[in-house]
Amino acid sequence: MTALLELENVHAGYGPTSVLHGVSLEVPEGGVVSLLGANGAGKTTTLRAITGGVRWTGDIRFAGRSLRRKATEDIVIQGIAHVPEGRGICTELTVDENLRLGSHLRHDGAEVRKDYDRVFEYFPVLKERRKLSSSTLSGGEQQMLALARALLMRPRLMLLDEPSLGLAPLVVRSIFEIIRNINETSNVAVLLVEQNARIALEMSSAAYVLEVGRVAVEGAASELRDNESVRRSYLGY
Amino acid sequence: MQEFFQLLVSGIATGGIFASLALALVLIYNAMGLVNFAQGEMAMFATFLAYSLIGRGMSFWIAFPVTLVLAFAGGIAVQRVVIKPVERAPVLSLVIITLGLATLVNGLAGFVWGYVPRSFPSPFSSDSIDLAGVFVSYRDMGVIAVTGLVLLCLYLLLQHTTVGLTLRAAAHHPEASRLLGVHVSWMLALGWGLASAVGAVSGIMVAPILLLEPNMMQTIIIYAFAAAVLGGIESPLGAVVGGLIVGVTVNLAGAYVAGDLQLAVGLAIIIAVLVLKPNGLFGRAAVRRV
Amino acid sequence: MNRLRTAPPRYWLVVLAVVLFLGLPTVTSSFVASEWGQALTLAIAIMGLNILVGYSGQLSLGHGAFMALGAYISAILVHRYHVDFLVTIPIAAVATGLVGFLFGVPALRLSPLYLALATFALAVVSPSLIKRPAELTGGVQGILIPQPDPPPFAGDAFNAVTGTAMTSDQWIYYVILFCTLLLFWLAWNLGRRRPGRAMRAIRDGEVAAAASGVNVAGFKTLAFGISAFYAGTAGSLFGLSIGFISPDTFPVSLSIQLLVGAVIGGLASIPGPLLGAIFAYFLPIESNQWVPSQTWIPDQITSTVKNAGPAVSYGVVLILVMMFAPNGIVGLVKAGYVALNRRLRGAADRETGQLPPDPQTV
Repeated sequence: MTALLELENVHAGYGPTSVLHGVSLEVPEGGVVSLLGANGAGKTTTLRAITGGVRWTGDIRFAGRSLRRKATEDIVIQGIAHVPEGRGICTELTVDENLRLGSHLRHDGAEVRKDYDRVFEYFPVLKERRKLSSSTLSGGEQQMLALARALLMRPRLMLLDEPSLGLAPLVVRSIFEIIRNINETSNVAVLLVEQNARIALEMSSAAYVLEVGRVAVEGAASELRDNESVRRSYLGY
Repeated sequence: MQEFFQLLVSGIATGGIFASLALALVLIYNAMGLVNFAQGEMAMFATFLAYSLIGRGMSFWIAFPVTLVLAFAGGIAVQRVVIKPVERAPVLSLVIITLGLATLVNGLAGFVWGYVPRSFPSPFSSDSIDLAGVFVSYRDMGVIAVTGLVLLCLYLLLQHTTVGLTLRAAAHHPEASRLLGVHVSWMLALGWGLASAVGAVSGIMVAPILLLEPNMMQTIIIYAFAAAVLGGIESPLGAVVGGLIVGVTVNLAGAYVAGDLQLAVGLAIIIAVLVLKPNGLFGRAAVRRV
Repeated sequence: MNRLRTAPPRYWLVVLAVVLFLGLPTVTSSFVASEWGQALTLAIAIMGLNILVGYSGQLSLGHGAFMALGAYISAILVHRYHVDFLVTIPIAAVATGLVGFLFGVPALRLSPLYLALATFALAVVSPSLIKRPAELTGGVQGILIPQPDPPPFAGDAFNAVTGTAMTSDQWIYYVILFCTLLLFWLAWNLGRRRPGRAMRAIRDGEVAAAASGVNVAGFKTLAFGISAFYAGTAGSLFGLSIGFISPDTFPVSLSIQLLVGAVIGGLASIPGPLLGAIFAYFLPIESNQWVPSQTWIPDQITSTVKNAGPAVSYGVVLILVMMFAPNGIVGLVKAGYVALNRRLRGAADRETGQLPPDPQTV
């Protein structure tokens, strides 16, 4: 059974600098996979390669179809929601407008309304602040908005780049709870890039550790969690 | 006193014309960080198209929307052919290209229609009505109504439709919008089309006053620059408010100070704003693009 | 003697050009000489614009206005105060330069885009500003500039070479040529020394330049001043050559013509302004005269070129150059030279693995 997302021997870089040197990984349908590693290891570049933000060689397949040479807009429409580093909130727009950007491509009106209800259940603060400019949201609230917006795309796969960055521990916990909930109830697969390896591994079924653009360690999350030397050398705890 | 109010009203009408062209400039600036020096010439060209259509027997009120559609298409064409291939070039290169475009369009209009000024029919009668002792011409009211309507439609499009939303998102946040499935490149073309159509309105409204010839918009674009800069070059609302202020000021200056100094007043406004408050009335200090 | 032999071909080209320009009036009519004189004044103005745009990265669309200022200062001094024309040239140049320098101060606060906008507005408005003080400027009617007779030493020299008397136009041509050579030499020197390097550093990255201790504000205003100095000289000479100036002599299209010349010739180069000026000046003239006279060109094309005039050609050329050859003719030539060099030397260097040295930049 083919995985939902497959990366095969991907090399990628910016101009003359090569960042990824032959990365291969898989995300199964409905699975949660972590992509871990130190700063500069190439985690963000991997996500950007998937959604066409950086040139790559090798192959990247989503639901069996290659993403080579496709524009970002066309990749995303196939069912991939990418919440980038920094969240990508359109600060010139209101909260509601940001949400609408998530759902604007969909034609199933009734389902969209259901999804809005669900999103407001997860994140009531967004409902309160609907008409306000999204620049007034705190960091945690912006993360919620980014997630909500991604949800409204009803994706099959979510790419999350450092959702915990800059957030207080309590907020991080609740957000990850919600991510787990989303994955379990809607069967949305998640590829999670995180520096906070501990919390990432708790949620994932599998994990890959990147080091200087290569996969240094891969395996089931439980194995990595239990392997003390891996934890010490690569994950920092 | 009566004269003052008359000048005020006709100043508002002129201001509507300036506001339309200024709004076109703001639309493109928001999309690309670029001032389109060819905006006035493109508007002039569209006005000539309207003139040709009317000359073939089309009524004004049909020729007007048809011209707007043609201008829209023209704006998209210009973006696809001239701008898109070089969209990663430095801003100054793009400015020079728009200057080249302005020169080209001006020459083209001269080639097709010649440089002899023509009179352009106004759809409004030249009568005035008496409103509480102030004589207001139908023309002024007509211009105010038409430009107001166009600006209103544009506002509704941008703020209350999905297309308008994706347009604004693409303009301010191109990278983030791509990740949401917005075709940023098409949105840019759309922005140029809209700007071109709105600019055409200002050309058609001013032609009956100024006489139609290829250099007609060269003074109007200065006032439009003043309006856009005064309002804050990123702010559509600023363009409208700025247009009205410039229109009224220039009109009053023309009557109470000196007729031939009106253009100099426009220049003075530009310089004053750039020196004293470069962000204009509604602009922000920094525009960050994500 | 050795240094002559190893001097780069560039120096020989310069010598050749100077010789050609010196000899031009001896072999062509007086009228053609005056045309080339006017082209040279444009070259001076474009050189000034080049210093501003190419070397210090500030865009001015209003250099026609500076030309007008220089022209009017000279014209008024000659017409009202009976000052000898040649004396007015440096006066006009320095005065315009000072005005430019003063302009440079508020210009510092403007982003390049706003500066372009403001100078464009200035160019559009300046004809009406000139018309206002009609007492001084002659208003719409302009000022007539009497053209001086050639002084005896020049007339004699010219007669000795050509056997004919020197006309006013030819004398004026030589005055212009002298100024052009002087100002180009000055620009070349500035480019090589500290001011040039400082300005290039500023153009390529203000923050980095400032961090390296370059007085960014000082050099940028200096660039404005020098650039206006050149434009003022050009305007003054231009007025002399034509013999008459009015507000309509300096429309906004002149500012655009200067920009076209600067861009096409090649920004940030020395020969660029000259090539650009020749293009900008002669294109409209040639398209109106030369093309109709060529019988092999079909009538439709002829009438299109004639009627559309320079505007369409300028516009198209400007767009195409910015799209495909943003470094102008000089850039193309340089690129071609480099490519040729690589190909010629490539074989030898495959062994050493070294790239051939870049051609000497002047």
